[in-house]
Amino acid sequence: MSDIVDRSRRNFLSFAGKAGLTTLVAQAVGINLGVVDIVRAQTGKRGVEPFRFAIISDAHLYSMPDHKFDAQLADAVAQVNAMTPLPDFVLFGGDVAQNGTEDQLVKGKKILDDLKMPLKIIPGEHDWYLDMGEAWRGLFGEETWSFNHKGVHFIGLNSILVKDFWTEPGLTNLERMTIMEMLESPIPGPWGVHEKQLEWLAKDVKDLAPDTPVVIFTHSPLWDYYPRWNFQTSDAPEIREILSKFQNVMSYHGHVHQTLYNRIGNMSSVAALGTAWPWPYPPVELAFPETRMNRADPSISTDGMGTQVIDLSESFEGLVQYKPFEDSLTPFMRDGFKV
Amino acid sequence: MMSNTTMKTEWVVGMSVAAALLAAGATWARPPFTPEELAEQKAALIESVARGYDLWHGARADMTTNGLACGNCHPDTAAANPQTFPKYMTMYGKVIPFREMVNWCIENPQAGARLDVNSDDMVAMEAYAYYLHRGKEITPGLAAYQTTPIVVEYGTGFARKPTGLGVDTKP
Repeated sequence: MSDIVDRSRRNFLSFAGKAGLTTLVAQAVGINLGVVDIVRAQTGKRGVEPFRFAIISDAHLYSMPDHKFDAQLADAVAQVNAMTPLPDFVLFGGDVAQNGTEDQLVKGKKILDDLKMPLKIIPGEHDWYLDMGEAWRGLFGEETWSFNHKGVHFIGLNSILVKDFWTEPGLTNLERMTIMEMLESPIPGPWGVHEKQLEWLAKDVKDLAPDTPVVIFTHSPLWDYYPRWNFQTSDAPEIREILSKFQNVMSYHGHVHQTLYNRIGNMSSVAALGTAWPWPYPPVELAFPETRMNRADPSISTDGMGTQVIDLSESFEGLVQYKPFEDSLTPFMRDGFKV
Repeated sequence: MMSNTTMKTEWVVGMSVAAALLAAGATWARPPFTPEELAEQKAALIESVARGYDLWHGARADMTTNGLACGNCHPDTAAANPQTFPKYMTMYGKVIPFREMVNWCIENPQAGARLDVNSDDMVAMEAYAYYLHRGKEITPGLAAYQTTPIVVEYGTGFARKPTGLGVDTKP
């Protein structure tokens, strides 16, 4: 462990100590900082057959031919195809398109079709608000799904649903899309998965035993990171409540275009790098600041972007490795970290 | 139109501030501005900030050929770090002002046409970026770190007529 990590860890522990023991326990487990994870040691009774999966996210393709973002997504696909061992499948974290047009989604699907392994995908807001997901569904299918793979239950939800702000003022589809495209848009407010998907989720996990390893996949994080940029999911508390019976839940998400880790209660949360551009860290304190990447250098056009691969062990421990296109990781992050 | 009472209150507040400054040893270069003059000056600033906000989010087509706007990478002007300029930038190999950095981003990531550095639009870009970093420490030359802008709760980050479409109409 590097000095930098040791130091930030000490700082964090002293901060958490002041905040009270409960906070410390809730926040400290789950990351490989030398803290023994008691909860984890008890899980895995039913055993995972170890495997790896990769995540590609946030391609934000434009309609212009030979746009640089097309090549960046193709680079991500090539990077995943060259991984050894190969991931069993790839999750795409939303925002194939920038402006939600069918040509952008078709272009994205064509590039992603070059993956050697199966793809599961959930939508981002940039894919959705021109036609309310019609083209996306036609190309990629259902946006709410679950499947079991080698002992792990995977769940995908559409977390980018907002209240209808367009019907009453009579906005056009394009106006609605343009408003949704801005990260710091003053108009739509926080998004979430909404009632129907919560009901679906409750039904989906009803018969699963508490020791079932669960992975949940959404576009936005399932914790209040920075609501103004929708680095949140408004009904994340309800999702957490439904998943509270499980010993260990891993949440993976896109949208934030950066390296990021958090753990609250039984849920660890890991963000995906985008392939289009990196987003700055917002003006908030992080519980695990050591999982931040380096500040992207604007003179290196693919700095701060890349893919990620997760190896799941028999005891449902995850080794998360970010695979940036450039040298974007701090020493702490370079060899991956355990969740 | 302000009511007489409002005007009177603002005038009293203004005079109290002036008295406090004088007591602290400050001197005026000229008699203090009236509340009306101050309001006009603030309105002119916010007009420039608002233009900067629009430009930041794609209002000028010649600033891009690939669809990217400043806001793609710099929501709420985050990581624009205006308060750290002038500073040495490796792509120039010398110390540059913030407005040159703005033009670098327009010409490279956005593949657009640079703004005239003395134009009102360039001033507006600066006005918006600096307005969202107001109160931040001026640290010229801090090149390696991302600093953060002020926290914006809702809306655009500055007073602007609400659209009436959603959360920007919050009080």
